Order: sequence, then structure tokens, then C-alpha cells
Amino acid sequence: MDSQGGALAAHNPIQIDPNSCIRCTLCDWVCPGDIIYKEEGDRETLPVVAFPDECWYCGHCESVCPTDAITIVFPERMLNNTTDVLTLLGTIEPGDVPAMEG
Amino acid sequence: MSDSVIRLETDVVVVGGGVAGCMAAIPALEAGMGVVICDKGKLLERSGSVGGGVDHYLTVMETGPEWDTPDFLLKHIPELTDGIVDMEVTDRVVREMPRVLRKLEELGVDFKDPRTGTYDRHRSFGLPGAYHINFDGTRFKHHIGQRVRRGKATVLARTMGVQVLVEDGRAYGVLAFDIRAGTWYYVRARAVVLSTGDVNRLSKNASGLAFDSWHCPYNTGDAQAMGYRAGATLANMEFTETTLTPKGFSTQGLNALVSLGAYFLNRQGERFMFRYDPKGENARRAVLADGVINEYLEGNGPIYLDCRHLPADVLDHMEETLQIDRHTLPAFYRQKGVDFRTDPIEVSISELSIRRSGLYFRGSGIAVDVNAESSVRGLFSAGDSATVSGGIAGAATLGHIAGESIVQYLKEPRTLPDVAAGELAGLTAAAAVHLEQPDGPSWRAFEDRIRATVTDHAGVRRTEKGLRLALDTLHALGREEANLGAAHHHDLMRVHEARNIRLNAELLAEAALERKESRTGSAHRRMDFPGTDDEHWRSFVLVDRTDDGPGVRTLPARDPLSAAFPRSRQQNGG
Ligand SMILES: Cc1cc2nc3c(=O)[nH]c(=O)nc-3n(C[C@H](O)[C@H](O)[C@H](O)COP(=O)(O)OP(=O)(O)OC[C@H]3O[C@@H](n4cnc5c(N)ncnc54)[C@H](O)[C@@H]3O)c2cc1C
Ligand code: SF4
Ligand code: SF4
Repeated sequence: MDSQGGALAAHNPIQIDPNSCIRCTLCDWVCPGDIIYKEEGDRETLPVVAFPDECWYCGHCESVCPTDAITIVFPERMLNNTTDVLTLLGTIEPGDVPAMEG
Repeated sequence: MSDSVIRLETDVVVVGGGVAGCMAAIPALEAGMGVVICDKGKLLERSGSVGGGVDHYLTVMETGPEWDTPDFLLKHIPELTDGIVDMEVTDRVVREMPRVLRKLEELGVDFKDPRTGTYDRHRSFGLPGAYHINFDGTRFKHHIGQRVRRGKATVLARTMGVQVLVEDGRAYGVLAFDIRAGTWYYVRARAVVLSTGDVNRLSKNASGLAFDSWHCPYNTGDAQAMGYRAGATLANMEFTETTLTPKGFSTQGLNALVSLGAYFLNRQGERFMFRYDPKGENARRAVLADGVINEYLEGNGPIYLDCRHLPADVLDHMEETLQIDRHTLPAFYRQKGVDFRTDPIEVSISELSIRRSGLYFRGSGIAVDVNAESSVRGLFSAGDSATVSGGIAGAATLGHIAGESIVQYLKEPRTLPDVAAGELAGLTAAAAVHLEQPDGPSWRAFEDRIRATVTDHAGVRRTEKGLRLALDTLHALGREEANLGAAHHHDLMRVHEARNIRLNAELLAEAALERKESRTGSAHRRMDFPGTDDEHWRSFVLVDRTDDGPGVRTLPARDPLSAAFPRSRQQNGG
């Protein structure tokens, strides 16, 4: 079984540069998936990537950031993917179908 | 926490503030009605599928040529949808398109090309005319969302709808909760709109990351599931959609390269697409996906997309426009270390979703009539969750129709039911029960099992045996779902999403089992019934909730889906 949830939590897709982040909260506001949390009204705290394995890699946060403090970092399994595409195409065993389509 | 529920009274409640939901809210606001709109996202200006922007809009404009008229497009729709489409609703949508386009322009959407001051219209997706406007839609959603906010709708941000309340076949409210604060809402309303988009996180993709998906992973068929549980008829649930992606990243953006002249190559270096269609790479999108699937099955993978033969100016244009479809795509290629100018790109198929089988106008989801009303009175749906849809234009147009219909529907006075105070606490407690068992099984592993069985047995190659195996697994998961644990309200949202994905997968498998033929390529391919059988199967497959689980029926596709609604039987005296 292909249960990946837990192990993947290790990869953080959203890198925030603490030196350029001005704590404006916009990245939290635009994220469609409730992934980034920034305490409102607090000029000290940085945004926290609370649910890294639920990221869509849409980049809304990166594009809205006024100081370019965000970098999207793709995980190894996306960049150098080794999945056999055949495993996505269904399991058919001999005898499941009377005759294959020509 | 779940026993204190905020009660709101309004005319219209909209669940899902995407393109369709916002466009449904606008006519109601203009008519001076009270509107409550809830969305999982914080800002209506950014939430949903297209918060990052769009680049094409399908419409007739009636500019003079025959192809640019509703009649001409409508004439071609049966063939464009392989004979299965609700023509009555489609007719209304196509005829309303020019008006809704103007309305969007009034809201501030600029469809014109700033360089020429005119509409940049293209013939694409196999349509019989240049119906697509290509435009800079970066702020498309911004304008619609802003109109709703300025119209003084009550916006419940970061709030997930979980249940529609129905009495005597009429909808009268919605239960929802704030995914951060945990506040529960009971919105009692005279009309309900469900517009939560398509069904994603449904099957496996190459990366194995559930949220790495072509379409929005936070759209999980919640409208379809809520509507079904409330008694609404669903249709076309057997049809799924997939696309071609750079392997490892399920994103839009590959088709753009194909339309600019890139070739597909197989392992032998053969440009094989002409074996599948005389138009080669210019074939319909679904044909391209099917061609790639077949090459993999025949052992000719890996498959690559090759741009190396293209002239420098085309490559420059490709590079400049790469981020339009997905902001992060240039970064992906950069971090991967591939340059499409010099390297072929390895290609995979994406995960499946339930939306509109890659076709315009044949949507999958809540069956609606010409007013966007479902079989449940007062319950409306539009966008990718309804049975007539078509990208942002379909969502905007049917959404707008829903809003205008609601204004009419609300003119009739009727008494509105209510939930007894004690009963309300019971309903929210049941929906929040997962918080009481934080150590219960994880929604992640639960969802992985859904995706595994859908991929293996209900995906791009289906058989009766496989679909029954999938149903066994999905039923077993259904028995376990009450035990799922949630540590906080964000997690509670994911648990409800997982339950809704499971239900949609079950309805998909039931409908696919019923349709004993193949239609629209890999959207529904039965290996045991490989041919398209127009004589017996030019019909819709409908699913309804019964006491024994999903009940499946068929209806000839020449009828509108609403012919199967209880009210139309009453009207016909039957
Ligand atoms: C990246 C991308 C680019 C696209 N580009 C184009 C394009 O250029 N042209 C085109 O025609 N189509 C495009 N599409 C397709 C188009 O986005 C959809 O067809 C269209 O958005 C459907 O509208 P909708 O209102 O049904 O769904 P959406 O616009 O996705 O809205 C659904 C909303 O419901 C909310 N929601 C979901 N569940 C719940 C719940 N339980 N409670 C509360 N809220 C909920 C979501 O947060 C979301 O805001 C694109 C899609 C994507 C993903
Ligand atoms: S990439 Fe998208 S989903 Fe991921 S954190 Fe940024 S905004 Fe949220
Ligand atoms: S948008 Fe950028 S600057 Fe603002 S809080 Fe987020 S990371 Fe910091």
C-alpha cells in the first residue's frame, strides 16, 4: 500500500527567508489550502508552514509576497521521479476481459 | 465547543465562493437579498481553482459570422459531447454566454488584448469556431470576488460547508464550521447554492503526493456528496478526466507546448501520435492522453515531449509564457535541471478527477434543470459540481443563471422549516465527533486506500470484476470512516474531505458498473465492453440515495436530466 503521508511531512516546500520577510501575513491570506499560518498583528513572528504535505505547489504565496521572501522547493520525488507510469494505468489480470480491444 | 452554534438567517446561502458561487451571489445581491457565502479560503478574491489567474474564456459573442452564434455552437454540441449532454440546460447556458461576458466586463474583467485593443480569439479544443478568448486573466477572480464582498454579502472565510438541511424535499439551510477557530454556523436560508467545484485527490499520480494535482486539491466533491446525502440526483459520475503532465508534477502547462508545435516521442524515438489521429499532435486533448496511455501499455514508454526542432522565437515565447498556466512551472524545470530547448521532457498522465470528461458542457455531478435547480427544491448548483459545466465560462454563466433563478424562486412566499435547538447540537456533535478521537486512524492512510483502489480498478481501464473489487474496498472504508481521528479543526476539514472523496469514488464505481460500453476514450473505458454502443447507451446514468445505498437508473440522453426529477413527474400527472 502506498501510504506516504507521514514520511512526507519531512519535506518543506515553502522556504521563507527570515531576513527579507516583513511579516505582512499576505502569504497566509492567499493560500487556498490553509497551509501557511502567520499570527496577525505580531511584527515578530514568521509565517509557519503548518501543513507542508498538503501544499498544491500553486505558488500563490510566492507570487503575492512583496519582498520575494518565499522560494518554492520541490521534493526529490517530484524532480527525479522514478514511478513506473504503468502503475497508474489500472490492474487487469488475464481472464478479466473476454477479448482485448484491437 | 460544538454545542455553541452561531445561527444566521438569510435569503441565500452559497457554499463555495469560486467562480460559480460568486456569480450566483451577484444577482441576489443586486436584487437586495441577504447572501451568506462560505469558502475554505480566506479571500474570495483568491480562493478556488483560479485564484492564481486564468488565460482563456469560451464564449459566443455574436459578432456577425455564423459560427459566432449560439445556434451554430449548439448544433455541434451533441457531437462534441459524444451524444451525452443535457441539451436543454446547455441551450440556455450558450444563449446566456454573451450577456454574462458583458456582465464580467462590467465587473472589471478586461478580456481585450492590451496591445491591439481587441479580443484575441482562437479556435482550440476541437471546437468548430474561434470561441476562446485568450486574455490576461491574472485578476479574473479578484474582480468577481470583490463584487461579492462590496455587495455586502456576509462572507464566512475559511469555513467549510458540511451538510444541507432538507425537509419535505426542500432545502432550508446549511451547517458549516470555521476551519481555524472551530466556530459552527447554522445558516438558515430560503435557497441554497452548492458550488464547491470538482472532485480531486481521487486517484494516484506519479509523485504519489495527494495534493500535487492538476486541478485544485481542495475541491473534493463536497457539493456532490452534500447534495447526494440531501436527496439530490447526481449524473455522469462515471466519467473521469486526466491530462498529460511533466512526469513528477501534476500541473497544467504541457498542452501549451503541444499547441505551439512540440512533438511526442516514444522510447524508440518515434513520433507516434499520427498512429492515433491523422492530425497528430493537433488531435483533441483526450486523444493525446489516450495515445500516450496506449504507448505505455504497449511497452513503448517512457514517452517524451520534444521541442528541440522549434525555431528560437517559438522557444522564447514558450519560455516567457510558461508560468501563465502554473506560476511554479519554471521553478520546477529549473530545479529539475531540464531545459526544454535542449532536453526532451518525460511525460506522465495526471491523477483522475471527476469534472466534465475533458469536454465542454457535459458536466458530472449534481443534476440541474434550466434554472440550475437540483431535484431538491431550493437547492441549486453550478460550476464544476453541476451537470452542465465548461471551465470558467460555464461556471460563470450557470452560476449567474442560478442567482437570477433564485431571485424568482424567492418571490413565492413559503414557510421555512427550522432545526430544533436540541437537534442542532446533535448534528454538529456528529460532524465534529472526529475531534473526540484524535488518535483515531488518519485520513491520510484512509485516502491513500481510496486512491489505490480507484487507480487499480476504477481508473482508465475498467472491468466488471475490477469495479466490484473497488466497491468492496470503498464499502469497507465507508464502515471505517466514523472512526477517523482529527487533532484540530483543520484536520476535521480534511476528514470530511476524505469522506466526501470516498463517497464520490463509490458513486463513480456504481455508475461505471452500470454503463456497459466505452465512451469518450479513457473517460470511461470498459475493457469488457470496448465499443461505444449508441443503440443501448445513448443514455445518462443517474445515481440517487436510497435506503440501501446508491440507486442507479438510466435516462435517454435526448431527455433533459430534469425529466427524472420528482417535480416533473408531478407536473406530468404521472
Ligand atoms: C490552475 C487552473 C487554471 C485554470 N485555467 C482556466 C482557464 O484559463 N479557463 C477556463 O475556462 N478554465 C480554467 N480552469 C478551470 C476552471 O478553474 C474551473 O472550471 C472553474 O473554476 C470552475 O468553477 P467552480 O466555481 O465550479 O469551482 P472553483 O472556482 O474551484 O470554486 C470552488 C470553491 O469552493 C470552495 N470549496 C470547496 N469545498 C468547499 C466546502 N465544503 N465549503 C466551502 N467552500 C468550499 C473552494 O475553496 C473554491 O473556492 C483552470 C483550473 C485550474 C486549476
Ligand atoms: S504553494 Fe500554494 S498551497 Fe502551497 S503554501 Fe503556497 S499558496 Fe499554499
Ligand atoms: S508574504 Fe512574504 S513578507 Fe509577507 S509574511 Fe509572507 S513571507 Fe513574509
